Amino acid sequence: MKKVIIYVLLAVISVYCLFPFLWTILTALKPQEHIFKLPIRYLPERISLENLENVFSKRPFARYILNSLVVSGGATLLTLCAASLIAFRLKKMEIEQSLKIQRGLLIMAIVPPALLVIPVFMVIRKLDLVNHYLGLILPYVALNLPFAVWMLHAAFRQLPKELDEAAMLDGFSSSRILFGIVLPLSRPALAITGVLVFIFCWNEFILALTLMPSQMRYTVPVGVAMLSGASVYEIPWGEINAAVMLTTVPVILLMVFLQRWIMEGLTRGAVKG
Amino acid sequence: MTERLKFLIFFCILFLTLPVPVCSQVALRMIGPEDLGGAWAEIVRRFHERNPEIGIQYIPGPWSTEQRQDMYIRSFMSGDAFELVYMDVIWTAKFAEKGWLLPLEDWFPSEKREVFLQGDIEAGQYKGRFYRAPVRSDAGVLYYRRDLIPHPPKTWREFEEICRKYSSPPERYGIVFQGMQYEGLVCNYLEYLWGAGGSVLDEEGKVHLKTQENVVALKFMKKIIDENWAPKSVITFQEQHSLEFFEKGKALMMRNWPYAWKALNDSPLRGKIGIAPFIHRRGKEPASTLGGWGLGIARAGKHPKAAGRFVQFVTSPEAQKILHFKTGATPSRKSLFRDEGILKESPYYRELYEILSWARPRPVHPDYAKMSSILQKHVSSVLIGIESPEEAGRDMQRSLEGLLKGKRENWLKRLFLDDDLHQTVKNTALFTLISVPLEFFLGLLMALFIHLPFRGRNLGRLAVLIPWALPTAVMAMTWQWMFNNPFGVINDALIRTGLLSTPADWLSTAGGAMAAALFADIWKTTPFAVIILLSGLQSVPRELQESLSLDGAGPLKRFFHLTLPMLIPFIRVALIFRMIHAAGIFDLIWVLTQGGPADSTRTLSLYLYDLAFRYDEIGYALFLTFLFLAALVLMSFGITRGLTFRYEKVGK
Repeated sequence: MKKVIIYVLLAVISVYCLFPFLWTILTALKPQEHIFKLPIRYLPERISLENLENVFSKRPFARYILNSLVVSGGATLLTLCAASLIAFRLKKMEIEQSLKIQRGLLIMAIVPPALLVIPVFMVIRKLDLVNHYLGLILPYVALNLPFAVWMLHAAFRQLPKELDEAAMLDGFSSSRILFGIVLPLSRPALAITGVLVFIFCWNEFILALTLMPSQMRYTVPVGVAMLSGASVYEIPWGEINAAVMLTTVPVILLMVFLQRWIMEGLTRGAVKG
Repeated sequence: MTERLKFLIFFCILFLTLPVPVCSQVALRMIGPEDLGGAWAEIVRRFHERNPEIGIQYIPGPWSTEQRQDMYIRSFMSGDAFELVYMDVIWTAKFAEKGWLLPLEDWFPSEKREVFLQGDIEAGQYKGRFYRAPVRSDAGVLYYRRDLIPHPPKTWREFEEICRKYSSPPERYGIVFQGMQYEGLVCNYLEYLWGAGGSVLDEEGKVHLKTQENVVALKFMKKIIDENWAPKSVITFQEQHSLEFFEKGKALMMRNWPYAWKALNDSPLRGKIGIAPFIHRRGKEPASTLGGWGLGIARAGKHPKAAGRFVQFVTSPEAQKILHFKTGATPSRKSLFRDEGILKESPYYRELYEILSWARPRPVHPDYAKMSSILQKHVSSVLIGIESPEEAGRDMQRSLEGLLKGKRENWLKRLFLDDDLHQTVKNTALFTLISVPLEFFLGLLMALFIHLPFRGRNLGRLAVLIPWALPTAVMAMTWQWMFNNPFGVINDALIRTGLLSTPADWLSTAGGAMAAALFADIWKTTPFAVIILLSGLQSVPRELQESLSLDGAGPLKRFFHLTLPMLIPFIRVALIFRMIHAAGIFDLIWVLTQGGPADSTRTLSLYLYDLAFRYDEIGYALFLTFLFLAALVLMSFGITRGLTFRYEKVGK
């Protein structure tokens, strides 16, 4: 009996969480004329790829994907580099002190991007980087750094201190300890942090909208959001759903494959704080 | 890590982050609506044939003119301006005031301007300089079914009689117009206001809306909806919706722009359509709102000469004819109204010429965008019934006066005059106060559930994580689709399960839109609470649980005496994070409702964004941002205080 309740609850929660995504896929795979047919058919009568094709043929969607990949990928790499240096330095400090610094970093990370967008825009314009990839990558690194430091620091601290000390005695320089010992040993944490930072950047909207206003520089979320605009009868709901599907499926796949590590990494990071 | 790998990564970063060089060839960009019929492609092609050294890129933007305006403004502010500015009449004053436009006298000296319609030329001027060359003219007109009504109504009285006599809703309504909260609504409203003898500003430029004329105009618009002469859904209509509705034969009359003629002429209604000046109050003058589009040149553009050549070409008879025949655009050159080819296709152009000659421009003011958004809000409020016409008239007067006055006041005083601020703060508070507690409790329940040991809980964890990992802005599109009426799945599911008897207008009513936004936000952010609380649950030592249960404490007792106290620090973190992020919500609402209808879902960060990037008031926006942040910090302290127990303090 107890088991039945548990599985009913599990089913309810899963449907609640997954339904919007599933509905998008179902809509995207329906042929145009069935999308606007009443009463609504929940399952497509036949699978059609016409919406997916239209997304690429009618708009520079491939370009949006490229933009997103470049920006998210670049930001992730830079974030990881900077964060591992910082976390490595923090590891050497007293725990109390390093926690203080991390808290300070986290407080800055709390501010929602919507409140940062105006000053960030002013800075990027001064640097003449509007519509350049770098102009979006830099703010992304800044935004994600606290989180990455947090995650990596938690991982680095798990490594025994004796390891560093032994390496030091052997005459290893700090950079060799970091690149030769600490980083290779923390590969799983690096991977998880990298994946999460990548997802955050992939999903970010308001900065991308503002800092890369030219259409050829749209990232995927901006491109998808700009698919609206036209009037209700003209809104290409089939294409929009196809675009949403293309944007979200990679994220979902990453989550499916890495869910255990991600959950562990996230909760461990939080516990340590 | 080997040297080579390091090198590779270094180069990857370098490659990825290097600014991409801009083409050295003369390339000019412009944004317009979707190029239906390929008219712009044709114009660009012919121009390029004659000027092979100049490449024109026509960027199809969103249908909504406001969004295209935002795109232009952002491009001017960013320093990478779109060289060709395809402008609605109402943008001219502001763009010119900001110094974003190049005066066009070099290409259009005053004697050359006389070939265009008078109103279009006047609308292209600001403070004595000429900034905008008219490409297409526009004015609101009344379409009517010649086969169904004997003659078009001239006055409101005649209009009522015709609706009473000939309309039979829901099969056939009297009229459709543009009732959605956007610029088009103001165009419609002004025709009633002018038609009642009123105006927005008086001769001295003072706000003139707390008047009998305004109340009468608003009352009449409301009456059209209340009496079912227009369908209720008209409050979600833009031009295209009205046209499709009318095209299906579901209305006797339609207020729209002349472009609709071409579509109607290609439809089964061919030959059954007449065109007339818009209705007015008895004893007053008919009036129609001047619309139309023109081209300007961005001051920041690097190739003004090339741009000038293109502007001249687009305003030439040749290009205007292409636009006319392919899209139904009304030319701005007087001579084309006597052109035989055009008259053959559109015999009504003689009448249209007349209507255009008495079309009135909307208030020419650099702050027109803000004035319009105030008007939109109140007209929309009247139409959906949350304000009476009298209240709306009073509020319009007060808000507009506050706007014009507030611009001169210092920021501190402006805080009290700024109605948008008050409204958006209210919305933000409401949104936060409802969403955060709900998310928290739902999150707590889910976390407790997932924490139970059972087979398959990994599936539960995965399911819970997914909403958190998906892009908010993108999923907002999905929610918009799911809340759609009539094709949305949510209405369908609610009706099938009997929770709802008739489909709900989620996104076009004030309460519905807020509910939809809350629902989507709770879905999206509950996982965050789950993650934090789950890590808290994992920190509760199992031994303590077990010893308590050996002592005979039931699950409830264990929860309240052990688990909950140990969760407090995590609850604090979750609440503070969620509160701050809910208060700063932007993506979801910007995509889902754009703040509408009637500003009912417009939150503070949307307002700040508009201030900075639509009204170009960065200073004031930053001032408000600063206050907002200070308030958030204070509230976070409040939460920390309120959630610290005595023993914790003693412990410290």
